[in-house]
Amino acid sequence: MDKTLAIKTNNLTKVYRSFFGRKKVLALNKLNIEIKVGEIFGLLGPNGSGKTTTMKLLLGLIFPTEGNAFLLGKATNDIKTKSRIGFLPEESCFYRFLNADETLDFYGQLFNIPKKERKVRADSLIKLVGLEFARKRPLRQYSKGMLRRIGIAQALINDPDLIILDEPTSGLDPIGTKETKDIISELKKQGKTVLLCSHLLSDVQDICDRIAILDKGTLQVSGTIDNLLSHKDLVEMQLRNLSDETVEELKSFITERDGEIVSIRHPSNTLENLFLKIVQERRKSTDSVTHSQ
Amino acid sequence: MHQTLVIAKQTFKESVRNKILYIFIAFGLVTIFCSAFMPAVSGEKIKIVESVCLRSITFFGMLAAILLASSSIPSDIEDKVLWTITTKPVSQYSFILGKVTGFVYIIGLLVLILGSASYALIKVVDSLQKDTEHQGLTARQMFEPAHLKITGKSAKKSGNIHWIEGEKGCASSWSFTGLESKNTSDKIVIESNMFVESRNNRKKTIPVNVKVVNHFTGESHRETVTVANKKPSFLRWSNETLGGGKNLTIVMTPQHSGDFLGIRPDSLRLFLGNKSFEYNFLKGLIVISAQFILMVVIATLGSTFFSLPVNILFCLFIFFCGNITDFMRDISTVITIAGAHEHDHEHGISAVVKKPSTFVTLLNSILTAPLTTLSYILPNFKKFNIGNYFIESINIPIKRIFASFVYMFLYIIFCLPISFIVFRKREFA
Repeated sequence: MDKTLAIKTNNLTKVYRSFFGRKKVLALNKLNIEIKVGEIFGLLGPNGSGKTTTMKLLLGLIFPTEGNAFLLGKATNDIKTKSRIGFLPEESCFYRFLNADETLDFYGQLFNIPKKERKVRADSLIKLVGLEFARKRPLRQYSKGMLRRIGIAQALINDPDLIILDEPTSGLDPIGTKETKDIISELKKQGKTVLLCSHLLSDVQDICDRIAILDKGTLQVSGTIDNLLSHKDLVEMQLRNLSDETVEELKSFITERDGEIVSIRHPSNTLENLFLKIVQERRKSTDSVTHSQ
Repeated sequence: MHQTLVIAKQTFKESVRNKILYIFIAFGLVTIFCSAFMPAVSGEKIKIVESVCLRSITFFGMLAAILLASSSIPSDIEDKVLWTITTKPVSQYSFILGKVTGFVYIIGLLVLILGSASYALIKVVDSLQKDTEHQGLTARQMFEPAHLKITGKSAKKSGNIHWIEGEKGCASSWSFTGLESKNTSDKIVIESNMFVESRNNRKKTIPVNVKVVNHFTGESHRETVTVANKKPSFLRWSNETLGGGKNLTIVMTPQHSGDFLGIRPDSLRLFLGNKSFEYNFLKGLIVISAQFILMVVIATLGSTFFSLPVNILFCLFIFFCGNITDFMRDISTVITIAGAHEHDHEHGISAVVKKPSTFVTLLNSILTAPLTTLSYILPNFKKFNIGNYFIESINIPIKRIFASFVYMFLYIIFCLPISFIVFRKREFA
């Protein structure tokens, strides 16, 4: 298998059958995707499109009805390969009686990481996901967003080469969402491969190199974000400090050359950016007051 | 192996933080301490305390084993914790073995707590016993006959009971081997428990001639003892009877013609010397723990393919039926005999069934085979019952412990691979 590929599927098919073996649901139909090493790949689709089924098949949680899949050049059930993979499930599935430290220590032990190193990694990951204030609290007392954060931390405890994230920003506030996206971008810088499964299109658009869209278990389209989203027949320019007269002159200039003006508008800020700006400014001022005291 | 121990540690931690464990320990401790206030109906109070303590450990330990072991894996599957474990470099074998090992740890803890409390209570009750009949905490060394031989022609054989008649040249001969005691003051005690019938009297007691032969010294001792039907009779000899040898042969025959002695291989037991109670109690706890481990393995097997409530019911069914396997075999025997219209045994079970009916015939065809098969497939938890050793103050033979563990390991060898295969084939959707 090509060593530049982190994930490869060949006609991957999954049919869920009822108890008596009768054909029930075609969850995934002959999926063929190739994800390169170092790439952030987004798997998109509406509910029930087969995203999570694909992830479960890749991780060996369920078995394909037809076809096969390879992770980092090995079959999905290869135990050694699993030590190079990090996985964040859609639901936060952890022992709720453990606290954050114990959780990361438990998963670290499963990777046979030495005790001292486990401690160092757990400390840095807890800091990274912003759970220092609740690290001794049992997970049963965590909010959904906090559980996602500890989920991300456990997915990274083994410093994996391939990270599979199912709805990583689900349940997170905008700041948590941004921090998660920053973490994913940082992973890309470190040369890691990320398979991201989400139905929050803006998240995927912001960070993914390539995407695939699934619907009813079938691959509809795949490619780079630029290729899929850019309109080759449209040109967008953002200009500053233009008077109304200059705008009118530009309009007539374009019309004279057979150009079509689709829209002229003043761009507005996104609600996410506005929210982040306000909250981050407030936090900065609170921090400075605290430090001065 | 590393992953197995990590899972085991986690399972132990999970169980320790589970309130169910503390409830069972609390109920167990209450029951154990309440036994000290139970009135002594007959015999020594210490026997009641010992019996209640051992039964409490067995009952609450078994309940804890069933509920903790049968719920852990189904809960992990239901809460999807398994998603985050099986996607790590953990094989299915390590996971299952880790779970079983973790439960062995927790059972060890439970037996340690309840066992220590029981031992402390038994010692306290023992120290408070002041009556003259009280023998103290001992564990008598019991010897079972190595060989039973019926010489001459026995009157008849019914099941495993040989009936011999007096003055017909017929005798029962038991051989005991390996008899030794460090303490020369220890007495040789022979306990017989036999069936008796007589044409001569209605009291069901007959005189029996007993001859003790020492092949080492060539000496023999004769005595006559009165034996009652199904009641123990005792004979006592000095340790010197052995005369430096280790083997004795005991020959018994009814004194008079018309008197019958019903003998089974276990009708005669010989006691010589005592072992420490503490050591015996520890051995008892080990045998009791073996059945908990067996149940943990069965619960783990069930949890690989059953849901939580179904698995608990499955384990309770196994536990219940595993305690009545002998009864199941007897029932199937009764049905078979009744259905077959057999009435030729005077001393057999068929004597009580007089009228075979269509219903019995129907039962015979439907129930006999499944009941017999089930009774052989299901684990027989009676094999782990050591209560009688403590009631009779008998040292538990090492071979009994060995037999219990062999029995447990046979089931483990059967159940664990099935658990591995089922779990490996299972999808976690």
